[in-house]
Amino acid sequence: MAKLDDIIHQPIRLRIMAALNVLPGNEPIEFTRLKAIVGATDGNLGAHLTTLENAAYVAITKDFVGKKPRTRVAMTRGGRRAFAQHVAQLRDILDGADT
Amino acid sequence: MQVSPQEAAQALQAIASTENRSATLRHYRGAAPHLMLWGLLWAVGYGLTEVMPARANAIWAVIVVAGIAAGTLIMFRTAGRSDTWRFAAVWATLVVFCAASFAVMPPSDGRQVAAFIPLVIAATYVTAGIWFGSRYVVAGLAVAALTLGGFFLLREYFLLWMAVVGGGALLLAGFWLSRA
Repeated sequence: MAKLDDIIHQPIRLRIMAALNVLPGNEPIEFTRLKAIVGATDGNLGAHLTTLENAAYVAITKDFVGKKPRTRVAMTRGGRRAFAQHVAQLRDILDGADT
Repeated sequence: MQVSPQEAAQALQAIASTENRSATLRHYRGAAPHLMLWGLLWAVGYGLTEVMPARANAIWAVIVVAGIAAGTLIMFRTAGRSDTWRFAAVWATLVVFCAASFAVMPPSDGRQVAAFIPLVIAATYVTAGIWFGSRYVVAGLAVAALTLGGFFLLREYFLLWMAVVGGGALLLAGFWLSRA
């Protein structure tokens, strides 16, 4: 039986990955929108994104729109695969409890 | 890492609710420019129709073609190819439905046409909202209420009402969705 992914299972990171998972392909989402969805502070979200980026689960791009800085986050292919495996593991745990 | 079935259920529930919220906000973000586009087009279309009622058919032919073309371009730039075709198919359905309705029940007054089409659009928003997010329902109900209010209470100024209030409501709804 495969182990749960410690990086993904942390509650805020789990929500980050879930929010990114419904975006098609490698479509990015802006940091501010992700913050609203996940319900985290700037610093908290930034720290968890760094953890996910170090695991190569998300890709972060920074640019400017006019003079305003913009940070966007997208799920990588590896991140999508890891998240799918994590969800499957969670379902297995539930199924094991039901049988 | 040891996780109990109860913790697994909680995690799956958190995933489902977050995915749902993310998908809804993505829908809103995608729909916002379309509402703003049609808010502007309504303002122009109804405004010109008020000034040149005899040219209503030509005005609205240009407005509808311009709106569908601009909307398709927005879809092409922001969504996938399959979504663009669905978008075009929805518009084709609405145009054919309205044309068929007018063939079956010919309007006796231009204002009936001017009210019927926004009501169909409003019904489309409410229907979309039942599936994809409550803000569409609010936008659809607002457009329907403003259309019916103008039609029955402000008959002399109905076109002007739709240009300013109807178009303005769509613009505001688009802005509201973009800020969600």
